[in-house]
Amino acid sequence: MVPVEYYLLLSSAVFCIGLYGVLTRRNALYFLMSVELMLNAANINLIAFSLMWGNLTGQTFALFTIALAAAEVAVGIGIILVLYRNFGDIDVMDAATMRW
Amino acid sequence: MVSVSAYAQAIVLLPFVSFVVALFARDNLPKGGAYSGIAATAGSLLLSLATLAAVYGGRTVNETFYTWAVGTGAQDWTLSFGALIDPLSALMLVIVSLIALLVHVFSLGYMNDEGEEDLPRYYAGLGLFTASMLGFVIADNLLMAFMFFELVGLCSYLLIGFHFREPGPPSAAKKAFLVTRFGDYFFLIGVVAVFTTFGTAAFAGAESFPHLAEAALGGDATVWTPGNMAESTWFTIVGLLVLGGVIGKSAQFPLHTWLPDAMEGPTPVSALIHAATMVAAGVYLVARMYGFYVLSPTAMGIIALVGGFTALFAATMGVVKQELKQVLAYSTISQYGYMMLALGSGGYVAAVFHLTTHAFFKALLFLGAGSVIIAMHHVEDMWEMGGLKNKLPVTYWTFLAGSLALAGIFPFAGFWSKDEILYETLIHGLNEPLLLIGYVFGLLAVPVTAFYTFRMVFLTFHGEPRSDLARDPHPVRWNVKGPLSVLGVLAVVTGGINLVPVKKVLGIKGIDVLHKWLNNDWGGIEGLSSHHYAKIGPYESGYLFGGEAATVIAGAAVSLTLALAGLALAWRLYGVADPAEHTAKLGQIRELLYNNYYQDEYQVRIADAVRDAASGADTFDQGVVDGVVNGVSSVSLLSSERIRRVQTGIVGNYALLLTLGLTTLLVVFALIGGWFQ
Repeated sequence: MVPVEYYLLLSSAVFCIGLYGVLTRRNALYFLMSVELMLNAANINLIAFSLMWGNLTGQTFALFTIALAAAEVAVGIGIILVLYRNFGDIDVMDAATMRW
Repeated sequence: MVSVSAYAQAIVLLPFVSFVVALFARDNLPKGGAYSGIAATAGSLLLSLATLAAVYGGRTVNETFYTWAVGTGAQDWTLSFGALIDPLSALMLVIVSLIALLVHVFSLGYMNDEGEEDLPRYYAGLGLFTASMLGFVIADNLLMAFMFFELVGLCSYLLIGFHFREPGPPSAAKKAFLVTRFGDYFFLIGVVAVFTTFGTAAFAGAESFPHLAEAALGGDATVWTPGNMAESTWFTIVGLLVLGGVIGKSAQFPLHTWLPDAMEGPTPVSALIHAATMVAAGVYLVARMYGFYVLSPTAMGIIALVGGFTALFAATMGVVKQELKQVLAYSTISQYGYMMLALGSGGYVAAVFHLTTHAFFKALLFLGAGSVIIAMHHVEDMWEMGGLKNKLPVTYWTFLAGSLALAGIFPFAGFWSKDEILYETLIHGLNEPLLLIGYVFGLLAVPVTAFYTFRMVFLTFHGEPRSDLARDPHPVRWNVKGPLSVLGVLAVVTGGINLVPVKKVLGIKGIDVLHKWLNNDWGGIEGLSSHHYAKIGPYESGYLFGGEAATVIAGAAVSLTLALAGLALAWRLYGVADPAEHTAKLGQIRELLYNNYYQDEYQVRIADAVRDAASGADTFDQGVVDGVVNGVSSVSLLSSERIRRVQTGIVGNYALLLTLGLTTLLVVFALIGGWFQ
């Protein structure tokens, strides 16, 4: 059986890739994909521990997270559409008017 | 059966409701709020009469409704609102609500019929004025009294300055407010001194400050005094501090200067101010805490002397005035001087008696003057009048009744009350030279009062008309005649409530109703009765010609003769078809009197002298006090101006900050948790 540390390494690698994407990408679609990556990293964690303890709670939570991610994508795409309508672009750096 | 204290609350709240209604319903009210005001004050009057009947049945009230602050530690004072209903306050409630009702009715004629604008504001002011005065009357402690005292001052400011678009009224209103505030400043210190000394400001009961003061002087209790000062000295000082407010409000020398200027207000307001509310408040306050004042012979002497002096001083100025309301204004100052003289010389009942009769005849005179002013199309100069007797019969006869009462002519109300004041001053003054001086002042003021009163009557109503307006005056309606008639009857008969001289001379028992009333014969609150005040008071009585009856007759004969002499002189000089301006013959003296002894000028000079100190205080206020406040706000403004730059609006920056923050937290917790060791 694969030790749980490997899963954790994979999960943190995926998380860091996602984080890197969030911090560096300007295109909102990439941004959204990176967020998805981070969410899935969390899912891998949940599943890994579920497997390790032989407990179904982690898998249940992973299912919840997947549903949540689906909803988040729907909202996120909506935001991107509005962003495009208002700024003519989907560069997240352009939408900087929501401040003082 | 509804309790008396519920009556008391309703009496105060009814005019207040009328104030709120007039304030918020404004343009939707019939007659600009007059009817709601009349209804409210009529309700107050009915409830006041019920209260009077309840007190007659022995049901008094001394209770706290609402405690709004409780101190801790050594200052365990309770600050509260409550009601004290005893013979004195019940009587005053009836007077105030009756006058307020009549003034409201009269205002229909004076304000509504004359087409004044912005009437809801006027009736709102009247309602609040009445409510504050009624609240002041029922106050059961000095702090509550002070708060309502200030409200009364505020309302007088609002009403005197009612015609704020003209130049005179706003300035007169400011003067009234500032001058009385100057006195109230001492009153406020007095309230604090009373709290610090006694730990309570209640007027009545075993834990009240007059009672504690009495016990302290008798050695039965200890109270705090500054620097172990003798208690009697300190009580005198506290009494004089409170007296500052009284002198301001009751327009006693030297703070009387606001009152003649206050004539700028509408005439019904003048009637209310002079007869029942603002000016009466000062005298009522001394009567309310009389148990405290009688403990201090010095304070009593000062009250008597100030009162007597004011009575004469103001009367002399009334002699030369040309405007109807000005004469009445000085007569008010003078009459309140009499009341103060009575209070200072131990004539508690006499003072309350004069307060009552004066309320009726002065309200009558002011409303009568109002009626004349309506008829004369708002001309107030008496030299423009004359011959109004036949054109305004109701006004003339009622005004005459009021004038006879003011002049102290037998058997009108003013005769009985003024005579009793002079009598009390005389019998106590025979052993007390200071009071004797007050008595002489008071006696000298009698012929002067009679003279200026009848100079006013003759110039206004008798002789030939001296202008076209006087030849064809504007008629007045029922809403003017009605209140005048009620007050006219009262001015004639009110003396009947206290026929002490008759009792003393003829020996008829039971006709000195007011004496018995204030003596708690029908029930009252222990320690608030005239016999209690006489017992602890500093004065002893002396009699002339070896007897009480002889003294009564001699005193009454002297004052009546003097009054008749004044009247006769006025008749001789002004009771002719075409009177001449005799005051012009007085030359320099007339100038002095006409300019009010240059009181305003010297007060302005004093005010100018302290201008530097005032501007220093202003600099301190603007620079240091406001500077601190402004400094705090500018520091936060500036720093927030810098700090808000953190928010860029760019989502990537936020994500970066989040990540960095989380990382920092992880590192910190790791270091603390000891992972790297």
